[in-house]
Amino acid sequence: MIYVQEAFAVLLANKIRSLLTITGLIIGVCAVIAIQVLGASMAGSIDGLLGGMSDNSFIIFPSQTQRNMTEAAVKLGDLQAIVNAVPSVIDGVPLGASQELVRNGHFEGRYRVSPESANPFNNLPLLYGRKIDADDVSGGMNVAVISNDAYLRLFPNGGDPTGQSIYAGPNRFLVVGVLTPPKRGFLNAGFGGAIAIPWTTYVHRYLHGDTVFAARFVASDTSKIGSSEVAVINELRKLRGKPDLQYQTFDKSQFSQGVASVFNAMTFVVAIIGAVSLLVAGIGIMNIMLVSVAERTREIGVRKAIGARRSQVLMQFFIEALALCGIGCAIGWTLGVGIGAFVNNVAIIKVTGSVVPVPWAQTIATTIIFAVVVTLAFGTYPAFRAASLDPIEALRYE
Amino acid sequence: MNNGGANPVAIDLRDIHKTYENGPLKVPVLHGITFTVARGEYVAIMGPSGSGKSTLMNLIGCLDRPTSGTYVLDGVDVSKLDDNALADIRLRKLGFVFQGFNLLARTDATNNVALPLFYAGVPNRKRRELAQRALEAVGLSDRGHHQPTQLSGGQQQRVAIARALINDPAVLLADEPTGNLDSKTSEEIMTLFAKLHESGRTIVMVTHDERIAANARRTIRLLDGLVVADTAAPACSA
Repeated sequence: MIYVQEAFAVLLANKIRSLLTITGLIIGVCAVIAIQVLGASMAGSIDGLLGGMSDNSFIIFPSQTQRNMTEAAVKLGDLQAIVNAVPSVIDGVPLGASQELVRNGHFEGRYRVSPESANPFNNLPLLYGRKIDADDVSGGMNVAVISNDAYLRLFPNGGDPTGQSIYAGPNRFLVVGVLTPPKRGFLNAGFGGAIAIPWTTYVHRYLHGDTVFAARFVASDTSKIGSSEVAVINELRKLRGKPDLQYQTFDKSQFSQGVASVFNAMTFVVAIIGAVSLLVAGIGIMNIMLVSVAERTREIGVRKAIGARRSQVLMQFFIEALALCGIGCAIGWTLGVGIGAFVNNVAIIKVTGSVVPVPWAQTIATTIIFAVVVTLAFGTYPAFRAASLDPIEALRYE
Repeated sequence: MNNGGANPVAIDLRDIHKTYENGPLKVPVLHGITFTVARGEYVAIMGPSGSGKSTLMNLIGCLDRPTSGTYVLDGVDVSKLDDNALADIRLRKLGFVFQGFNLLARTDATNNVALPLFYAGVPNRKRRELAQRALEAVGLSDRGHHQPTQLSGGQQQRVAIARALINDPAVLLADEPTGNLDSKTSEEIMTLFAKLHESGRTIVMVTHDERIAANARRTIRLLDGLVVADTAAPACSA
């Protein structure tokens, strides 16, 4: 199309000017696109951030701000009572860990031994064997599922370790499963612990007394986590006969929301910066288009004398503005995606353990919308002015 | 081959008045111009500055509308048309040649010549084909890819003439076509005009140069907004 060809010819003839004009646009679009790429990565990598915590688990623990915290502590007997009383809760497991010297022959390391149920806390896939099952729990079996980290340390020769025994302190456990390594997130310290054993076994071997303090419950469905948390807290108050007991909860969605709210604030700030730079860029583009119209007054006169209609002159200058904005937005997009991907690869991957692919369609859509909006907002008036020139005056213009 | 071939009269001006209004100030420029130009005529319009010849040229060129009077161009009354309709008339019935050539910079000869066809909505391949033929007609068939800066003044003016003719206009309007050219090049352009006239083109040329005007077959002289002389010249010796 000749309009487009001409537009690019004009822009290329004034390379420096065109480039300076679109600098603001490049910066604005770049900022917005970079934050979009990072945002998608943050939002999509919460999984990695929490090191494989299962979706429908939630944790309840007494608030530390109340006077009698020990009274609020969760007791062993509460677990079954709550599972019986709250229909949406399908499992209750003590939360805790015991730091033990774990040995396999002369290979050893200090690891956290932790209680696990048939509804695993840790949703990492298995490398070998199986997970803790309901029979292990009901029978109080001396079996263990070990983390990849512990596996590498205790079984440095590799191979399938299931069926072999390890010692955690004085207690012997049969290894029945090995987990795959978690994503390298910074919160991967291991909610589940490195050596997961049936919680009944844990209670028997490592828990002294009947106070578990904090507990993990499993909701029948992720959508019921919120209501289950409330129900469990009410049940605990009822069991203690003290309606003023305070509890705190933690679940994956809370964490996601926390990250999301921090990120939303960041996004908002960057969006404002982007909007301001787009405004400034738009004014710059309008200015340069007006200069262009003034410089080419004679040319416009010739075009009109030859028989160009108003709408045709309007279109020409409009497309020129669109080309200018299009180039600026395209460069801004390229830089934005580049910066976003770069930050993802050097920083976000360390925090979250995973990088979500660039949301191509979303960023391209945003860029196109910017280009069109800026063109419409700031390219229309100069184009209109060009189209309204009187051909006689324009031809006389020196 | 000309548009409206059935019209023996190309230009028919009747009692044309033009008054410019500058706020409360009214400046009358044309005081009732009446003449006709038949198809195939070669007319020079002369007059000192201030005589209104530029204004008349703008009116004939459909760049402006008369304050009163009627102007029929190739069978179409254009005195009351709106801007878009006038643009279409300029596109289809008129070809302009300017003193300053007015070619588009950074655009090669072919594309300059093809410009009116673009506004007429002719497809690209057809445009280039017709432009090449028009360039051949003005003797520049090998200059299609040259930009205006790579062409001499005379060559630029011939490109402009090719552009003016590409839509096969009813009237070729030339405003001081040799004003920026030396006498030898002016001669070449006048020879080209003579050739166009012989092939049946209607040419209206505004000039203040008697020797250039002498190339035309008829000279209309303006003074203070009125036609003071309308003389047919004998076939010139050029």
